[in-house]
Amino acid sequence: MGSVVLAVRLALADVRRHPAQAVMLLLAVTVATATMAVGLSLHAVSDALYAQTRAATAGPDVVVLSGESGPEVTAALASLTDRPDVAAHHGPYRIVYTDLTTRDAVSSPVVVHGFAETPGPVNRPLVTSGRWVRPGGTVLERGFAVALGVDVGDRVTIAGRSYPVVGIAVTAATSIYPWGAQIGPYGGPSDYTGLAWMTRSDARALAESRNLPVTTAIDLKLRDPAAAETFRHTVADDHPVRLVRSTFRSWWFTAQHDKVILRNAQPILVIGSWLLGFLAVTGVATLAAGRVAEQTRRAGLLKAAGAGPGLIAAVLLTEYLAAALAGDALGLTIARLTLPAVAAPTASRIGDAEPTVTAVVAATALAVAVAVLSTLGPTLRAMRTATVTALAAAARPPRHRPRLTALSALLPTPLLLGLRLTARRPGRAVLQACTTATTVVAITVLLTVHAQRERGYGLDGSTALPNLRGLHDRRLMLAITVLLVALAVVNILTFTWTTAMEARATMAVARALGATPGQVAAGLSAAQLLPGLPGAVLGVPLGFLVYLLFGVGDSVPPRLSWTLGAALATLLVTAALAALPARLAARRSVARELGAEAA
Amino acid sequence: MQDAVLAFLAKEPAHGYHLHARLRRALGPLGESMNRGQIYVTLARLERAGLVVGERAEGLPERPERKVYALTPAGRDRVAAWLGEVGWPKPDLAEFHLKLAAAAATRLADPVELVAAQRRELLRRLREVQRAALAEPAASGAGLLLEGVVLRLQADLRWLDACERAWSGAGAEAGGG
Amino acid sequence: MTVSGAVIRARGLVKHFGRGQSLVRAVDEVDLEVPEGQTLAVMGPSGCGKSTLLHLLGGLERPTAGEVWVAGRRIDTLSERDLARMRRRSVGFVFQSFHLVEELSAAENVELPALLAGRSPREARRRAMLLLDRVGLAGRARHLPSRLSGGQRQRVAIARALVNEPLVVLADEPTGNLDTAATLDVLRIFEELRAAGQTLVIVTHDERVAATADRLVSMRDGMFVDDTHLAAARPRGLGGLLGLGD
Repeated sequence: MGSVVLAVRLALADVRRHPAQAVMLLLAVTVATATMAVGLSLHAVSDALYAQTRAATAGPDVVVLSGESGPEVTAALASLTDRPDVAAHHGPYRIVYTDLTTRDAVSSPVVVHGFAETPGPVNRPLVTSGRWVRPGGTVLERGFAVALGVDVGDRVTIAGRSYPVVGIAVTAATSIYPWGAQIGPYGGPSDYTGLAWMTRSDARALAESRNLPVTTAIDLKLRDPAAAETFRHTVADDHPVRLVRSTFRSWWFTAQHDKVILRNAQPILVIGSWLLGFLAVTGVATLAAGRVAEQTRRAGLLKAAGAGPGLIAAVLLTEYLAAALAGDALGLTIARLTLPAVAAPTASRIGDAEPTVTAVVAATALAVAVAVLSTLGPTLRAMRTATVTALAAAARPPRHRPRLTALSALLPTPLLLGLRLTARRPGRAVLQACTTATTVVAITVLLTVHAQRERGYGLDGSTALPNLRGLHDRRLMLAITVLLVALAVVNILTFTWTTAMEARATMAVARALGATPGQVAAGLSAAQLLPGLPGAVLGVPLGFLVYLLFGVGDSVPPRLSWTLGAALATLLVTAALAALPARLAARRSVARELGAEAA
Repeated sequence: MQDAVLAFLAKEPAHGYHLHARLRRALGPLGESMNRGQIYVTLARLERAGLVVGERAEGLPERPERKVYALTPAGRDRVAAWLGEVGWPKPDLAEFHLKLAAAAATRLADPVELVAAQRRELLRRLREVQRAALAEPAASGAGLLLEGVVLRLQADLRWLDACERAWSGAGAEAGGG
Repeated sequence: MTVSGAVIRARGLVKHFGRGQSLVRAVDEVDLEVPEGQTLAVMGPSGCGKSTLLHLLGGLERPTAGEVWVAGRRIDTLSERDLARMRRRSVGFVFQSFHLVEELSAAENVELPALLAGRSPREARRRAMLLLDRVGLAGRARHLPSRLSGGQRQRVAIARALVNEPLVVLADEPTGNLDTAATLDVLRIFEELRAAGQTLVIVTHDERVAATADRLVSMRDGMFVDDTHLAAARPRGLGGLLGLGD
């Protein structure tokens, strides 16, 4: 027990002395866990939002639609209500296919549902602003209204006639915008369509004014909602319905369809969180290795306290674990706050969103993994060494590499120094390459996502109404990329600083022998660039591969010049960032640097 | 010994036993083995050489112990020459130590200066011997001997450093007198 | 070549560290001229500022006041970049703790200044092997410093200091970390260098090292207190030193 207390106390003391590392780990883990929690919760949240909307609007269990209209169709649909498994119904009602144009001349296909002024027992759209339908006015579905930028009181043109928007409502009977039309005109395929309501007579007048396509629908509530999917088969043998070529939409199907808009979002977020965690580990692992070396210089003190190498590793682990768990808590809070926006890109649903238990567990596991992996190297080494002093001695002097040394002799001085610095710690070079590769992968995926062209939600696919799924994907990808770049920047600064500190003596000797400060700074920069090069080269095809893995449909590759440019820019920024701490280090007088390492 | 005795007479004439006491004090434990007879023998020798002259004290029988000895001009010259000399005695450091004490007591020279001058001389010697030693092949007999000389000179130089520190610091304390 | 034949000149050299209560006058108004081919030893107790003086002469440290010339060119006003270039051409350093690069072999260590000065790898290696031979370590060219004794490491460091044929070699307590035998090896090399006409400035507290010099300067509290030429005024038989034929 005593050693646990000691470990905790040492960990606290260390954090107070080097807060930067703990903060770095905390921030990185926060971002990674938030991303993972959101990503893993998306589908569950979408379901939850649908369920809340369904409950609030008395959503139907099954919607039966027919591509035709007329008294036989209406009668056939109405006959369904006599069935014993049907508990309640609404309709049959008319659905008219036409166009809607806003005041700003933005047009969109729209289906207009003819509803009574007093809502029925099933499918009672919830009015969120304004009022329900009245003669001469129209109520827009909320997702549609937000996409159009239309509010209560504005006027819209439907089928050539101007109507005031008297209200905005949500419903669970149809999928979210832009899948307001469950079937197309005359039963054919449907396009991106918004949803609006009018009074029954207005809808009929609308249809007759221009001879617009009309389908008929009826909303059913079953005694057993779970049987909604199989309802279709149950009525398969029923005569009149079969004659009228109908389509059955269960609530479950509608809920599933809601998630189409999130098709790419979940992979983006989950894979993004792995990459963020990966970058967190690469950066922090470098610091952890340096910390152990520093700890063992206090060997005497620790030995007096009866400590062994195991304790040193335990202290480090405690510190990082605490920071990671704090980051986890913070990340989950952020996830809770951002989940509604990410899981519901349209305004079509209402309700509250929370990360699922699975997501919380997975995010915490990620946090712990990051902490453990970061300290893995030093911990393993500590377990293999018997005494603290042995641990200090095994600080692993760099190996002699005659071939690399000979090769570096052919290069100009900055590259000579850079190559030799890189060769000192090949493990770190790999971490550096991984950081650059991850960044380039993210940028490549971002460019690929941006290169995709989707149909807009406007009339005839016009992009006056942007494709919300594509927009959402791009925004998420941009956010992930920005976070990854931020972590990569921190990593590069960490790598350079650590390398500069370790190489202080050698660089001081180099300066005493005639290397200028500029050459030394360039050498430290090159030490970042050289491993970064293969990272960047690998990152481009890898990024495209990652996109292919979860992208669907015909993927348009981004312009090659853009991706190569991005890779090049990453390398240049890496070199520039690395030059910063290097320049600072090179400013001090050589004598001071030499003296500092003489001990 | 002879020169040291002369030097102590430089300030003022003194009896034999007076000189003996002074010398013993200056040498500390190392001087305990010195007996008075040696002093009188030395004084007699110096008198024969014409460097000192002994005067009988008034009304006392003619015995060496009763004589008061004083420097002659030749003696004074000899003292001056001795102080300026940088010859180096072999193992016995007492002579140099006495030289410093005498110089301080009689204010004829600055002990620190004497040390510096002696140091310079020893360094020159060290230089020559070392060069010769390095020129000899490593394990030869001559080389070995020279190496020994070098090490002794080095040791002596260390002692001179200590002398310099002592005499520039405490000054008169170190020598007594 | 150089004005008045002086390889190094210093006028009114001052170096202070710290300020106020903790002000340390490491070097206090020092004037110095080192002519070509001279071996100068600087002696003094520890803390007297001799290492600082050496750093100032070699451009590793900037003076608080005063001027330093190397090969007739004023160096205390140069930028760090130009100082580095100056060191490449004119100054070779030998340090008490050797300061060899641990992961490079002896030959790779020695050739490094030549590479930094822009010589081709082959030329640099050729010079390095030549110098290693001169210091008697040709057979250990491939050894890492960890496999060399202290004396051997210092000899490698000396070879490294010579690889660019510097005008002056500055040595800071070169035998400080060496035992007697290793000290002898280093002294031998210094003697050879002196005989070959190399200008040397050696900071030391070891009398034997100082004895190899032509000129000895004693330092105390940042100032020179003595300046002697050690070349014998009259040739003297060594027998006299041993007390023979007295």
